Amino acid sequence: MVPERRRPPEASSKSSCSMMSESPRNRKPDLPFAPFDSTNLWCGDRHGRSFLEFSPPLVTQSSGLFGPDRETKSKKQHEPSPVDDPVMDWNPRLMLSNLSFLEQKIHQVQDIVRSIISHEDQFLDQANELAAQQQLVTADLTYIIIQLISTAGTLLPDIKNALLSTNPAVGRPGSNQKQHEILPVEVAKASQYDSLVKDLNSCGGNEDELIKCSNNSGVDASEPIPIEDHDTKDNDDGMDGENLPPGSYEVLQLEEEEILAPHTHFCLICGKGFKRDANLRMHMRGHGDEYKSPAALAKPSKEASIEPQPLRRYSCPFVGCKRNKEHKKFQPLKTILCVKNHYKRSHCDKSYTCSRCRTKKFSIIADLKTHEKHCGRDKWICSCGTTFSRKDKLFGHVALFQGHAPAIPMDDAKVLVTSDKAQVSEASSGMPGNMGYNFSGNTSLDAQSPDIKGVDDGHGCFSPMTLDACNIWGLAEFPHSAYEVSESTFSFLATGSCSSIQRNGEN
Amino acid sequence: MKRAHQQHRHQPFDSILAALSVDLLIQILERVDDPRDRKAWRLVCRDFLRAEALHRRALRVLRLEALPGLLRRYAACLDLLDLSACPGLGDHALATALFAGAGSWLLKSVSLSRASGVGWRGLAALAAACPRLESVDLSHCVGVGDREAAALAAAEGLRMLRLDKCLRVTDVGLAKLAVGCPALENLSIKWCLEISDIGIELLAKKCRDLRVLDISYLKITNSSVKSISSLGKLEVLSMVGCSNIDDEGLQFLDNGSNSLRSIDVSRCDNVTASGLTSVIEGHICLQKLNVGDCFPELAPLFLSKLNGLKDSLTVLILDGFQVSASSLKIIGVNCKNLSEIGLSKCKWVTDEGISELAAGCVNLMSIDLTCCRMLTDKALMAIGEQNKKLVCLRLESCSLITDKGLEHIGTGCPNLEEIDLTDCPITDTAMKYLSRCWELMILKLGLCDKISSEGLVHIASNCQNLRELDLYRCIEVTDDGLAAIATGCSKLQKLNLCYCIQITDRGMKHLSCLEDLRDLELRGLHHVTSLGVTSIAIGCRRLTELDLKRCNLVDNVGLCALAQYTGNLRQINISYCPVSSMGLCKLLGTLKCLQDVKLVHLTHVPVEHLELALRAYGGQLKKLKLFIGLRDLLSPWLIQMLHARRCRIRWVDKPLVFSP
Repeated sequence: MVPERRRPPEASSKSSCSMMSESPRNRKPDLPFAPFDSTNLWCGDRHGRSFLEFSPPLVTQSSGLFGPDRETKSKKQHEPSPVDDPVMDWNPRLMLSNLSFLEQKIHQVQDIVRSIISHEDQFLDQANELAAQQQLVTADLTYIIIQLISTAGTLLPDIKNALLSTNPAVGRPGSNQKQHEILPVEVAKASQYDSLVKDLNSCGGNEDELIKCSNNSGVDASEPIPIEDHDTKDNDDGMDGENLPPGSYEVLQLEEEEILAPHTHFCLICGKGFKRDANLRMHMRGHGDEYKSPAALAKPSKEASIEPQPLRRYSCPFVGCKRNKEHKKFQPLKTILCVKNHYKRSHCDKSYTCSRCRTKKFSIIADLKTHEKHCGRDKWICSCGTTFSRKDKLFGHVALFQGHAPAIPMDDAKVLVTSDKAQVSEASSGMPGNMGYNFSGNTSLDAQSPDIKGVDDGHGCFSPMTLDACNIWGLAEFPHSAYEVSESTFSFLATGSCSSIQRNGEN
Repeated sequence: MKRAHQQHRHQPFDSILAALSVDLLIQILERVDDPRDRKAWRLVCRDFLRAEALHRRALRVLRLEALPGLLRRYAACLDLLDLSACPGLGDHALATALFAGAGSWLLKSVSLSRASGVGWRGLAALAAACPRLESVDLSHCVGVGDREAAALAAAEGLRMLRLDKCLRVTDVGLAKLAVGCPALENLSIKWCLEISDIGIELLAKKCRDLRVLDISYLKITNSSVKSISSLGKLEVLSMVGCSNIDDEGLQFLDNGSNSLRSIDVSRCDNVTASGLTSVIEGHICLQKLNVGDCFPELAPLFLSKLNGLKDSLTVLILDGFQVSASSLKIIGVNCKNLSEIGLSKCKWVTDEGISELAAGCVNLMSIDLTCCRMLTDKALMAIGEQNKKLVCLRLESCSLITDKGLEHIGTGCPNLEEIDLTDCPITDTAMKYLSRCWELMILKLGLCDKISSEGLVHIASNCQNLRELDLYRCIEVTDDGLAAIATGCSKLQKLNLCYCIQITDRGMKHLSCLEDLRDLELRGLHHVTSLGVTSIAIGCRRLTELDLKRCNLVDNVGLCALAQYTGNLRQINISYCPVSSMGLCKLLGTLKCLQDVKLVHLTHVPVEHLELALRAYGGQLKKLKLFIGLRDLLSPWLIQMLHARRCRIRWVDKPLVFSP
């Protein structure tokens, strides 16, 4: 395994997100398989009705928002594509209600902006007020963006799979290849998702911070106990038990792009990438008889390993990480696979959500699969949403964190939800119609009660709470477990300043 | 009070407040102690009532229907609310009542013991309405589970909580409480059988201020004791009947923190002397040690270690041990400050041993010698001579003691408040001696068949504070004796006259002047008729428990009188009485507080009418005793309904026999 071999020739691209997505292929438009670009999807004539009614207000709001919006729309067009994916059973009704809510939301922002315009003269005198209004608009827009992403987020795998099955060029090497493709494609999905968020970050100057913090709550907070995660996972990242003196080995540090590259072996003729060297050699046979000789098919590493190689260990490129060579207590990683797994687990977004519990997130698909084997058996739930298969683990977790408490099992929670609903709807009718300022409302709430914070963290910004709070309460088909719904009930009540019932939902 | 009443009548238009301000009224009220006088005060006029409302801090609600009105009047100042007599109290009623206070609640303590109708909604409303809540008693609410515990956990300031026999509370509920109420100081989870080591461990981690903890009868192991030992402020630890805990667990308690003041390891089968020795060594300030029924023999090492607790130890319970005279001597020498000793069912307790103990521990106030059958008058003599401060003496089944021994007690122990002489061969002379103890409150003379009315006259002549009198099967007692008791001991609250077969309606008539009487057992009194029961019903309005089993002459008239006058009646036994449908329907239809009803072998009541009567009952029945033959005759719908309303039916399998 020589580093040069692993490095794809296209990896020189600076932007990691573009590298992770399809740009390498774009550079070779003459290659046998079609470039995989979502732009041609945008240009397609299958503009959904919802898109038409949706985009104009956005355009009027901010041109910077158009990009992400278009992207999500393009994905929505593919919703009806006949993809039979049992895992991603998204709910069109839910999506519709989400969208109509967004529409409302946008109208609200429009109103605000209009009022700003109409009162422009007054604001000239009162700069403070104008700034406040501006902030309000910013917050609202950020909220809309995030909601939009969350709405579209559920669709991302769909579009990928749809492309796989509909685009013959991708599936060209045969049905066998298609299966090989699935994994990298899903990785790409995650990266595209990232790029979406990153694009958002850069789209509006003063919005940056807001988005970042919302991202934090959404993505990072999805792992409420990162410490624990690392502790358990790093075990198989290698090096535990190995106690090499520093200097007795050669330290190699791969760059982020290399680590995150879906493929490490590339065909020199057609550019197709592979995860394994053996797969590449199998592929090469198709390019001519010269690749079919036993010598060409033999494992090349054997001869290479005859020479005595210095002991090689790897460093994580993330500065500050314990696995980074700059760290005081540096602990090297044993193999490249360890590097990959470590980097993804510790420093990447967890974009694979378990379709069953919808709470656990992973950055490595194998982890997700391992989890899915056990998911559903976790009957021990913490108020923060973390689930455990064993009671003592839950209690250990509860003991560790301030304000966390075990949740009462689900069947009871359902009862609670139904009974609380009546109260909630009563309360909500008394609320002002304009629910636009959830952002600030929720954050101030967090500050008040640490208890509640844990709960919110579990959801992140994609939680239904923000939607719930806006009178879309009839949404029984929200894609969340009964348990989560009960939490949202609670968070809603809290915003409604029904402090007396605040804790009910938490139960 | 009466004078005040008259005064008010004479000047109906002048407010009393013109002469006496509310402050002064309250100051006067503070000097009125007797609840009966307080009641008279309330009845004087509205201003007096208002002053009383401002002064009142504690409220015990006897009837549910009065709750809203009471709370409206007393909401502002109440500290303590006792709802334990309202089993029919539901979530809705509680929530409504609490909202009557309109957020002005200062309640600190709420007792919902046995109020099994309250669920999590009610508790959530309680926690929300009373921000200052510090103490909640949910004991014996068997339906209380995790959800209720979670609702209660919203009361952050909770310091005291009793969950005895809340059978459905699991580790999860306990964890909710531990997280929600970190200030808990006093917690009882006795009989919460679902709780395990894991829950206890979390409790010990979260509630660092725990001082009093009762984990009796839990299925917990040594690891729980280990986590409990980390509680630095723990003073009282009760772990009765934890058979999974052994010496190894007790050794965890020996961890250098000296906070423990009281430990109860009685009925822990696997605890031996060595474990206890480690506890004693670790806690030199231990005041109370209960090791009853643990292991049979007192090891010498253990006894000698008691020397380490010389100054502090005040209570030592050694029930069921083999305690020789030498052991008692060592205890007498080592524990000079002992104020209470329990030697119930101990073997080898002799006069000699008791003499040594009495000589050593002169401050003893309570001595339990139940079933120490070898004791004679000599032991009583020693106690009477040495333990002048004696308050409580239990001599049940000490069959060798005689009147002479009690003479020493009567002369030597003027402070005696409680004495148990059940099944002792004593006569009226002993009563004469005991009547010198004028502070006597509890007197148990069950099975003392030589006691006659004469003895009761002696008691009545001097013991005005008597609260409880047990005359079970004192067959010589007649109406005259009751007449004496009724006049002499007007504060009597509990009276057992079962099988005192000479008693007639005349005796009942005498008893009817006992206004405080709450618990009356009249089992097997063949001469008592409905007339007697009627006079009781009219006179003893506070009656809550009444046993009329096998009173062969009590019929509908008696029941109708009970229905009309004893509105607070909670338990009644009319098994074998010749009552008919009308009386039963009247009784069950009128009384609202009944919780426990025994209706075995009511031969004059047809099944249909029994069913009708049971359906007519409007309150919350908790226990019902019926003949097993009715199980198939009563409609399953009724039985289902009773079960649904949390009523437990006990089916009695005894054949109908008319005993003499």
